[in-house]
Amino acid sequence: MRVGQAIASAKVLCGNLHVLLRDVAVEQEALEQLAAWCVQYTPAVSVDGQGVALEVEASLRLFGGHARLTAALRNGMHELGYRATIGIAPTPMAARLFARAEAQGIGVRSCVAIGELGGRIAGLPLFLLDWPQRTLALLADLGILRFKDILALPREGLARRFGPEVMADLDRLTGRMPDPRAPYVPPPTFHVRLELASEVESTQALLFPLRRLLSQMEGFLRGRGAGVQQLTLTLEPVRSKSTRIELAFASPEREADFILALARERLGRAQLAAPTLVIDLRAEALLDYTPRAATWLPGREEQTLGSERLLQRLSARIGRERVFGIALSDDHRPEHGWNQGRGQTPKPPTQRLRGLTPKPHFGARPLWLLHRPQKLVSEDGMPLHQGRLDFIAGPERIEAGWWDGEPVARDYFVAANPGGERFWVYREHHDPKCWYLHGVFA
Amino acid sequence: MSALPQGVWRGGEFEKTPRITFPTGHAALDAQLPGGGWPMGALSEVLHDGTGIGEVKLLAAALVRAAESDRLIAWIDPPYLPYAPALAQAGLPLERCLVVRPLTHEDALWAAEQALRSGACGAVLFWPERQSRNVDYAWMRRLQMAAEAGRSMAVLFRSTLSGTHATPAHLRIVLESEDGHLMLRIPKRRGPPLTQPVALHAVDRPRTALAPAPARRARVSLALAAGHR
Repeated sequence: MRVGQAIASAKVLCGNLHVLLRDVAVEQEALEQLAAWCVQYTPAVSVDGQGVALEVEASLRLFGGHARLTAALRNGMHELGYRATIGIAPTPMAARLFARAEAQGIGVRSCVAIGELGGRIAGLPLFLLDWPQRTLALLADLGILRFKDILALPREGLARRFGPEVMADLDRLTGRMPDPRAPYVPPPTFHVRLELASEVESTQALLFPLRRLLSQMEGFLRGRGAGVQQLTLTLEPVRSKSTRIELAFASPEREADFILALARERLGRAQLAAPTLVIDLRAEALLDYTPRAATWLPGREEQTLGSERLLQRLSARIGRERVFGIALSDDHRPEHGWNQGRGQTPKPPTQRLRGLTPKPHFGARPLWLLHRPQKLVSEDGMPLHQGRLDFIAGPERIEAGWWDGEPVARDYFVAANPGGERFWVYREHHDPKCWYLHGVFA
Repeated sequence: MSALPQGVWRGGEFEKTPRITFPTGHAALDAQLPGGGWPMGALSEVLHDGTGIGEVKLLAAALVRAAESDRLIAWIDPPYLPYAPALAQAGLPLERCLVVRPLTHEDALWAAEQALRSGACGAVLFWPERQSRNVDYAWMRRLQMAAEAGRSMAVLFRSTLSGTHATPAHLRIVLESEDGHLMLRIPKRRGPPLTQPVALHAVDRPRTALAPAPARRARVSLALAAGHR
């Protein structure tokens, strides 16, 4: 079988041939997505017909030279699930020629100096260009198959015989004529859909394709110097209702690994109604992203970053309301003396509430406070809790809250039982003067 | 014996590897702990029956040190809610405290591991037996590794029943209350096991230890040659 063969004759040669139709629209879309991903390496990206052209001269120093840049591109494309052939040349057309030559299995060395270009392309076949079949056939009949043949011909005669377009192409290829390209402008939001090869039932198996989409998003966001704080992940089955997962972060993020780790926790808990066929990832609001410098010694900032990430990871799996901080509040009633900083992120040191720390006029406070005071049995007016309680300290009278309808009038004692356990107990002021257990000195 | 070369560890000595520790605030206890305090980057176990004997207060001084340089103190699945005024009285920075109340035992173990491994926590206090009586040895080992990776002080609070099980923890302390004193036994530490209990005065005055146990060095005449490089 060979390229250009009719389907019918191919089927004769190979009985179980599976024919797939080429979808140009999808191809184009994929190229544009790749272009959006490439913007992280250079702002001058253009999509042309069957490839993406990058103007990298100005980016070489930043990315450590040609070799490293191409390696990064190759690895990145591989992560996205594509295989790329890459050509490097002083003109975009020559670069495409090199890339195509590599795809055809023709060995060619990349070239960075315009002076060497003529020599490098000399041996390449002409069919690597997008010229009309008729022109190529005509040239072949004349015995002109390679660039060295055509470049040796007199220019005037060539232009007269094959038209000015051919001449112009050759000039653009060799750099005699400028070849400006319209830069690709990435869309203002990120949206990508991935149709899986087959339906996937387990959420764990979705992580691999998801990782691919997230890498793509990372490249896109890098190119724009942006991050996202909110992401919508939709898992669409063939028929039934799709599952929507909203991921939200404390600060703009873009690292694929980090986002994947959060998504893993969320996916692990999600119940899928039906096997997924399409993954849809959408980020609407792009926010400025401040890259974090990696240092050898973790400083204050890295510590805060670590705390934030830990907090996000924990609340992603365990639930936002079950991961919290604690804070003092200014009230004498024990049950109102604290509050729950819900999903609180550790504050930078400058914002600390120094005013509310230790109150010297307090008596001893127990480490554990019971959510609701527990009524105690008493004997001869003395409370019992796993044995008779002996008072160690007290009473401390707390009388407050008459102004907001939750009045408290109690005498608090520190008490110990025979087992050596120490409790915080109180007696109500009003009759019947019941005893309550309110805290434990752990 | 004194002529033994460097790198030879004698059976009666504490571990020689330098390790960062947080002093407990009790001189008598510090003297009995290798490195002079709670080990950082390692798992410790506190075994006790009954809440309210001062089991957490024992850690107060170390927790204050662990929260330095803006690290968190994670409370994973505590039996009750930590009460903010008490923490403030103990000098703990409240804004560095993080309480996690998972619904299942698996989530609790996972949360403890994440907290330890992240490196964001100076100390992780974990009550693993709140939701399940048995804590898997393999899981304990994972926590130990996570503590090492995150340079975190991990403390597990368990009942004295688990004292019969093997532990990968570097330190195991058993607490008992006796006549208002807190009696500590150290069945496992990086060094010879402590035979005589240490007595600490009831919790409120942590800096004064009553009746310090004699710092008796176990006499072991056997010398073990450690791998000499």
